[in-house]
Amino acid sequence: MVFSRLFFIYIFLPLCLSAYFIARGTNAKNNVLIFFSLVFYAWGEPVYIFLMLFSAAVNYFAGRLIGRFGDSGKSRLTAGLAIFTDLALLGVFKYSGFIMENINSLFSASLPVPDIRLPIGISFYTFQTISYVVDCLWENVSPQKSFRKFLLYISLFPQLVAGPIVRYSTIEKEIDQRHSSIADISCGLNRMVLGLAKKVIIADQLSTVADSLLGGIENATAAAAWAGAAVYALQIYFDFSGYSDIAIGLGRVFGFHFDENFRHPFMCKDITEFWQRWHISLGTFFRDYLLYVPIFGKRRKYGGLFLVWLCTGIWHGASWNFVIWGLYFGLFIFIETLTGKKRMKKIPLVIRHIYSKAVIIVGFGIFYFEDLGRLGTFFRKLFSTEKLIGLQDKILLMNNLYLLILAVILSFPIISGIQKLSGRFCAVRTASSLALPFVSAALLLLSSVMLVDQTSHPFLYFRF
Amino acid sequence: MSNENNKAAKIFAVINIIAVMAVLFGGAAYLLILPHETVAEDENRKLASFPEFSAENYIDGSFTGGIADYFDDTVPKRGDIKRFIASDISPLKGRKYGGDEEGAELYGIAFEHKETAPTVVTTAVSVTQPVSTHTIATGSVCTSTAVTTAPIQVEEPAAEGGEINSNILVVNKRGLPLYPGGDVQGYADTINEYKQKLGDVNVWSMVVPTAGGLYMPSNYKSLAVDERNDLNEIAKGLNGAVAVDAFSVLAEHKSEEIYARTDHHWLALGAYYSAKTFTEAAGLPFKDLSSYEELHLHDYLGTFYGYTQSASLLNNPEEFVYYRPKNEETVTQYDTAFRDPLDVALLVPSGNMTPSGYYYVFGMDNRIAHVHTNTGNGRKLVIFKDSYGNALLPFLTYSFEDIYLCDMRYFDLNAINFIKQVKATDVLFSMCIFSATGPNLSCLKANLYK
Repeated sequence: MVFSRLFFIYIFLPLCLSAYFIARGTNAKNNVLIFFSLVFYAWGEPVYIFLMLFSAAVNYFAGRLIGRFGDSGKSRLTAGLAIFTDLALLGVFKYSGFIMENINSLFSASLPVPDIRLPIGISFYTFQTISYVVDCLWENVSPQKSFRKFLLYISLFPQLVAGPIVRYSTIEKEIDQRHSSIADISCGLNRMVLGLAKKVIIADQLSTVADSLLGGIENATAAAAWAGAAVYALQIYFDFSGYSDIAIGLGRVFGFHFDENFRHPFMCKDITEFWQRWHISLGTFFRDYLLYVPIFGKRRKYGGLFLVWLCTGIWHGASWNFVIWGLYFGLFIFIETLTGKKRMKKIPLVIRHIYSKAVIIVGFGIFYFEDLGRLGTFFRKLFSTEKLIGLQDKILLMNNLYLLILAVILSFPIISGIQKLSGRFCAVRTASSLALPFVSAALLLLSSVMLVDQTSHPFLYFRF
Repeated sequence: MSNENNKAAKIFAVINIIAVMAVLFGGAAYLLILPHETVAEDENRKLASFPEFSAENYIDGSFTGGIADYFDDTVPKRGDIKRFIASDISPLKGRKYGGDEEGAELYGIAFEHKETAPTVVTTAVSVTQPVSTHTIATGSVCTSTAVTTAPIQVEEPAAEGGEINSNILVVNKRGLPLYPGGDVQGYADTINEYKQKLGDVNVWSMVVPTAGGLYMPSNYKSLAVDERNDLNEIAKGLNGAVAVDAFSVLAEHKSEEIYARTDHHWLALGAYYSAKTFTEAAGLPFKDLSSYEELHLHDYLGTFYGYTQSASLLNNPEEFVYYRPKNEETVTQYDTAFRDPLDVALLVPSGNMTPSGYYYVFGMDNRIAHVHTNTGNGRKLVIFKDSYGNALLPFLTYSFEDIYLCDMRYFDLNAINFIKQVKATDVLFSMCIFSATGPNLSCLKANLYK
C-alpha cells in the first residue's frame, strides 16, 4: 500500500486513527499500530511480509544476545552475523539480478539471471535493523526485550516503505511512553496533508513535464536536457520529501517524533551542504556506520568517502547509473574536501550557487537515465550547440509555467518563514491559525480529487 | 507564551483537527456509502470491479491490490471530478503558448523535424494499462485472441506494441497528432507484394492523413513530419497497385467538418469525400449524401480529450455527424478467423449510443464484417484497414455488391487466401498514415504469411 492512494487515505487511515484513539494506554495503542502496520505491509506484500518478520526476528535476537554477551568477541560475532544476514537478504532480493547480469556480460557467461521482485521497503527496514544492531553493539541503545515492541519499531507503517530511516534511539522511549497532544495531532495532520499535496499536486504534475522533456532525449535540445533534469530534480524532491512529510506527520499524530529528512536542499551553496539537507537519514546512516570503517588504513578518510558514495548510489537502485550517480556526487564532495571549507567560502556566493545547482541538475539527469546509452546521449545534449531551444520546449515550459514557478518557490523555506513571522507578529499568528484549517482541508480535498484524476487510464486511444 | 495564547493555540489546533478529520471521515463515508461508478465513458472502458477472493489471488497480491484499485477507480461522481480538474485545475499549471484562447498546449514528447522527413519512428509513449478486465489481445501487435460472436461491445481489444503515439498538440481548440514519420518505402513494398501475389485483382491504396496533416498551423509545422510528403512518397513507391489521393480531396474540403477536433479519427464527412474519390478512381457508381440519413451525436468529446484532459477541448465539444445508407444491405459479423457468423446492423443502433466514442458509431475493430448490398454489379471488395476504415464502409454500399471489412491488426488468416476465397475483385488498403508507416505495418506484412 502506498500513501498516495484513495484507499489508504479514506479507508485505511480513518480505520487506523479510530482504533488508535479508541485504544487506551500505550500498550494497546502499540498493538493497534503493529496490527495496522502488518496489514499495511501485507496489503502490498502478502508473501514478503514473512521476510520482514524474519529480518525483525533475526535482529531482535541479535540484539538480545549482544545485550547478554556485553562487550566481547561474541557480541561482535553476533552483530557481524546479523548484519551479514541483513545484507545477504538485501543482496539476494535487490541486487542478485543485477550482479548476475554483469557477471554474464563480463565473462560472456549465460548464468541464469534471477527475476526477483523487490520487496517493498526492504532498503529502509534493512538499514534500520543494521543501525539497531550496531547501536546495541556500541551500547548506544539498550537491546529491546520485547519482540512486539521491536516489531513495532521495524514495521511502523508511516516510515516502513519510504523512510525516513528512523534510528531506534529516536523512538526508543516513545515506544514505551508517549502522548499525542492536541498540538501534536494538529501539526501531524497538517504535515501529512502537506506531504500528500507535495506528492500529488506538485511532484506528479512535474513528472509529466520531466518525461516530456527527457523522454525523447535522442532528439532533445540542450535546453530540454537542462530543463528536463532540473524539473526531474524538483519532482524527486517533492515526491520523496512529500513521503517523508507524510511519515513524519503520521508519526507525530501517533506521538512519535521522527527526525527531519529534508531541509530545503536546493538552498545549498555546495554539494557537501546539499547532502546535509537531502535524505538526511541516509547520509547520517552512512556517516555514522560506514564512513570511518578502518579498511582503508591511513587513507580511510578518502577511501571511506568513496565507499560511502558508492553505497549511496547502489542503495538507490540496482543499476549502473545509480553507481555513477553516487560516485559523481562523491567526486564533488572529494574536491570540496580537498579545497577546504575556508577556500570554498572565499568563492563568491553566486558562483557557488550556480556551481552547486549545475552539479545537482546534471546529477539528477544521471539518476533519470537507467539506460547508459541514453545517459551518454543526455550528456552530449547538455553541451550540444546544434540547437539550444526548440519550439516544443517553449510550448511545454509555457504550458507549465505557473507549476514550475510554484515548485521553485516551494522548494524554499516558505512555511518555516511564515512560522517565524507568526512567532513575532500576533496578527500573522492569528491569520495563519485561522487559515490553517481551511488550507489543510482544501489541500487534502484537492489532492484527493487529483488522485481521482490520476486513475484515468484512457483505453484504446491512438490505436488507429 | 501567555496562558491566553496557549488557550487560543489549542482552540485553533482543535479546529484544525476537526477540519482535517471531517475531510478524512467524510471522504470515507463518501467512498463507502455512495454508489460506485462502473463505466468511464470518456475513457471508453469499464472501471475496476471488486476482486474475487482466491488463495492464488491473495498470494500474488492481486486481491488486496484489486480492492485498492476498486476504491480508487470507481469513486462516485468520478466523471464530474475529472471534468472539474480538467476545466478548473489543470489550466492553472501554466499558459497556452501564444497566450490567448487559441494558443497551443503540448501533450507527450515532441521534437522539431528537419526539412527532410526522417524515416525512423520515435519511441512511442505507452499508455497506462487499464484496470478493466476486458478481453484484450495478447502476444504481438497483430495476434488476437479467439473471439466469440458476442454482441457488439464498446471496447476494442488492446493491441500491444508501439502503435500508440501520444504526442498531441492542442491548438485552436483542436487536437492534432504529431506525425513522427515512418517506413514509407516499407509500406509501398508491402502493398506491391500483395499486388504481385494477387495478379488480376485490383489493388488500391488509400492512406489517409490525420488532422495534423491538414490543420497544423504553419508556425507549428516543424513539430511534425510532413504527411503530404510521405503520402506522395508512398504513391511513387507503388508498382501495380493504384494510389488513391485522399489528401487532396480532404484538403479541398478542410473548411468542412471532416475531422474530429476532440478525437484522433476523421469524421464521416471526411470518409465520404475519400470514398467518393476512391469509387471514381475505380469507375464505380457513388451516391451523394441525399441517399443517406443524417444522424447526430451532440456534445461529442473524443479520444483527444480522454488523453489530454484539455480544458480547451472539454469546453468546446463537437457535433458528431454520421450517415446511414438508405439502401438495403445485410451485415454479417465474423471472428478474426472468419468463423461464427452473426447478423448485425451496419451501424450501432442509436438507442445504444452515448455521446462518446467513435466506436459507438462504427463498432469495433476485432471482427470481420461482411456487407452484402443490392448493388448487383458483381464487384467484391476486401478492405484492410485500421479504425479509420470503419467510417468508409457506409459510403461504399452503393458501389460494391459485397464488402469484407478486415482490420489488419486482428486478422488470423492468410490475407491472400482469404481474398481468393471470397473471390474479391478489388482490395483496398485504407488506414491513417500512422498505421501505414508505423508499427501496424508489421501486421500488414504478417498477414501475407499466416
